[in-house]
Amino acid sequence: MARLDSLDVLSRKILQGKMQGERRSKKRGQSVEFADHRPYVAGDDLRFVDWSVYGRLDQLFLKLFLAEQDLTVHLLTDVSMSMSVGDPSKAQFVKRLSAALGYVSLVNNNRVTISLFADGVRVRLANMRGRAYLPQMAEMLLTADCGGFSDFEKACRDVESRRIGSGITVVLSDFLFKQGYEAALRRLIGARYDLYVIQVLSPQEIEPKLVGDLKLLDIEDADVAEITVSSALLKYYRRNLAAYCAELNEFCTRRGAVYVRANSTDSVESLVLNYLRRVRLLA
Amino acid sequence: MQWLTPFVGLLAAAVAVPLLLLLYFLKLKRREAVVSSTLLWKRAVQDLQVNAPFQRLRRNLLLLLQLLALTAMLVALAGPVLSLDRGPGQRYVVLIDRSASMNATDVTPSRLAEAKKQAKVFVESLRSSSAMALADRADHAMVIAFDRHARVMCNFTSDKRQLMVAIDAIEAGDGTSQLSEAVTVARAFAQSPGPDSGPRSDEGLARMVLFSDGRIDDLGAIAVASDELVYHRIGESADNIAITAMKARRSYEQPQQVEVFVSLANYGTQSAARDVQLGIDGDVRAVRSVTIPPRQEGDETQEWTPGKVAVSFSLTHEGQGVVEVRQLEPDALACDDAAWSVLDPPPKLSVLLVTEGNPVLESSLRACPIARLDPCAPAAFDAMEPSAFSLSPYDVIVLDRHAPLHLPRSCYLAFGAVPAGIDVNSPGELENQVIVDWRSRHPVLQYANLTNLFVAQTRALQLPRDAEVLAEFGESPAIALVRRHGSTFLLVGFDVLASNWPFEPSFVLFCYNALSYLAAQQGGGGPHELAVAEPIVIDDVAAGGEVAVTLPDASTVQVAPDPGGTARFPGTYRVGLYAVDVPEEPRRFYAVNLADENESRIEPGDEMTFETMTVSAQPQGVQRANVPLWPALVLTALVLACVEWLIYNKKARI
Repeated sequence: MARLDSLDVLSRKILQGKMQGERRSKKRGQSVEFADHRPYVAGDDLRFVDWSVYGRLDQLFLKLFLAEQDLTVHLLTDVSMSMSVGDPSKAQFVKRLSAALGYVSLVNNNRVTISLFADGVRVRLANMRGRAYLPQMAEMLLTADCGGFSDFEKACRDVESRRIGSGITVVLSDFLFKQGYEAALRRLIGARYDLYVIQVLSPQEIEPKLVGDLKLLDIEDADVAEITVSSALLKYYRRNLAAYCAELNEFCTRRGAVYVRANSTDSVESLVLNYLRRVRLLA
Repeated sequence: MQWLTPFVGLLAAAVAVPLLLLLYFLKLKRREAVVSSTLLWKRAVQDLQVNAPFQRLRRNLLLLLQLLALTAMLVALAGPVLSLDRGPGQRYVVLIDRSASMNATDVTPSRLAEAKKQAKVFVESLRSSSAMALADRADHAMVIAFDRHARVMCNFTSDKRQLMVAIDAIEAGDGTSQLSEAVTVARAFAQSPGPDSGPRSDEGLARMVLFSDGRIDDLGAIAVASDELVYHRIGESADNIAITAMKARRSYEQPQQVEVFVSLANYGTQSAARDVQLGIDGDVRAVRSVTIPPRQEGDETQEWTPGKVAVSFSLTHEGQGVVEVRQLEPDALACDDAAWSVLDPPPKLSVLLVTEGNPVLESSLRACPIARLDPCAPAAFDAMEPSAFSLSPYDVIVLDRHAPLHLPRSCYLAFGAVPAGIDVNSPGELENQVIVDWRSRHPVLQYANLTNLFVAQTRALQLPRDAEVLAEFGESPAIALVRRHGSTFLLVGFDVLASNWPFEPSFVLFCYNALSYLAAQQGGGGPHELAVAEPIVIDDVAAGGEVAVTLPDASTVQVAPDPGGTARFPGTYRVGLYAVDVPEEPRRFYAVNLADENESRIEPGDEMTFETMTVSAQPQGVQRANVPLWPALVLTALVLACVEWLIYNKKARI
């Protein structure tokens, strides 16, 4: 809680006065912000006729306003067993990050949905809006435990079927899915939603400090890989990891999604305050 | 190529190789580690297996290297020997000189050690019987150590270990070196093949391999065939200072006075200044510096002679004692740097007077410092068994006008009668004789003035050629010294009572001198000074008692006497002082001295002149004919193990 609070303070300092929630929609609608004029056609609401233009031009024009929609922020946070590994733990990191993003979204009057998924969505807190939901969100994130294997596609199917309107979707995971992430991500990428992919890896995954003859146990499905650690093996591991991340990045970029890679040793604050602003997740 | 221990190697291989393979094929016990996902690892392993060349081979390379290293070690264990010799098996007699001169330290640690070392190299290079070989081509050898006597250390065998043990068992001695016995023994053994010679017949002559410094006394008496004997010369230097002779004896006149005569010899080419120390019972009495001249080089006909100097000491010492003379500066040969002599206490005589009654003689004898005087009638003396003398011996037997029937071994002083059987005749009697000449320097007549001696009646003496005449009448010897059958006879041809001698002071002086002289003849101190290897013999040991002999190195040997009460200790192989403790008797000392110029002359001989031919020393030491291969194999195994370790490490490096 203390960390979230400090994050809160830090976030508020930076984000004060940035009108995040009431953002312009591409749709014209009822709002105070003027967008355009168009000729009056029969049946239009007379209340939007621009009478001053009619006085000058003697023609009826309708004033078009930008519809001010609230933004739906979908946080899709991975809490499968694989996230519990690592020092510092990746789960902690993604929960903090989710909390930070959720906080920012709630404070700015966005509609926030947080889904914790493993083999499908395990916990969901949907359609929160306003500061009042902060404690509820915090409690959910704090009490959530890691468990189960990852079924990213099932979770994505679930999210896709439930989301309405438009907004942004942020996926926080390590993306080490045996069955692949492509099909699942494709579901999330749609016209109405911006997709942000944040891949969190632990330092042990980035630079393994393993020595000797080992029997590696997969924490999720108890899969076994027998390795004898050697310089060559580690070289290939690093090369594979880099290729895997690059592939994910390319997949996202090609589909207009934004890919962010984070190390669980990174501080959540700097990530939120600097990096995510740079990739324009936050403004 | 031969194998010394092929079965050991095979046995070890039978155990070790399957064990290594088993170990290698046992599944590796891996540590478990939990990771978030094996996804990337599996891919990495796949990549590694796909991309790394010779992956499987490399895995097996370690096994291959291990197997090679193990094989090298196992082959080394089997003891392969590269044999440079060819031809059928030979028989050798290894003769090792262990005489005094072989103790010289001019080659470190000593000549004997060097000889043993070379002999071992020789034994090592013998071809051993091989389990793999079809024909038995093994060399057989026997080992003989010799000084004056030969000692068979090991009979003919092809077992090198046994030969090595035999060579190791040779101990240094201080004896003189004589080869003839060793050669005789060697030939005798060579004609009867050893117990493990198997079906082979004794074809061929056994070759003798002699390790010596060439100082051997009796070379001229030995005949050797050509090629029968190979001589390996041991030793380098000739420099040595030796005490070649030493004698300590009491003065005849004054028993307290001890005269010590020492002869020193210098075998080196430089004159040497040395301190000679004299001690009695461990107390230093005198130190004298002497300069010993260098050796005198000879010419073609004559060998060089050592420089010599004689030193004499004079001191007073009563009672028993051990005189030690020591040359103080250590040199190559230590055993001739000191000599010992055992002093007996001044003798107290027991005298048997055989007379029918002669108060003059009896009172004169009683005036002398004697232990006891037993008068005895001639008839009683003749009736005594000779064995009675051996039990309670009299030092001197005085015969007054009596020629006894039998003469036990002793010292005799005879007046007026000639004992039979000593080659002295008495052709007749003379009357009214005076002494015309006498040897006033002789100990018996010292201080005695015989000018006024008048003899009314005397026997004429006809003496053997070796007799010593001390005083003469005009026509016949008056007093004479005859030695026969180990006895000493001091003959006075006339009856004392038929002369005016009892009234002369010279008579008492004569009695005193004669007794002292005869006592000195008998005491002599001879049996207390022995040559090396001469046994210590102690008679009359009480039954059941044991004799303890303390050797120069302070170790003690118990000697049990034989049923006759005689204890023999033959182990006087080293020079020095041997103390003998007989129960209920004072301690006795025996001095064993080298005192041998030939042994002190340590210059190694380049050639040995035998009766038949001259054998030259081998130009160089014993060469290895067999090259043991195990060190190279062990080295190879080590290198292979290192390579294996390096490869493993390279593979495992992160």
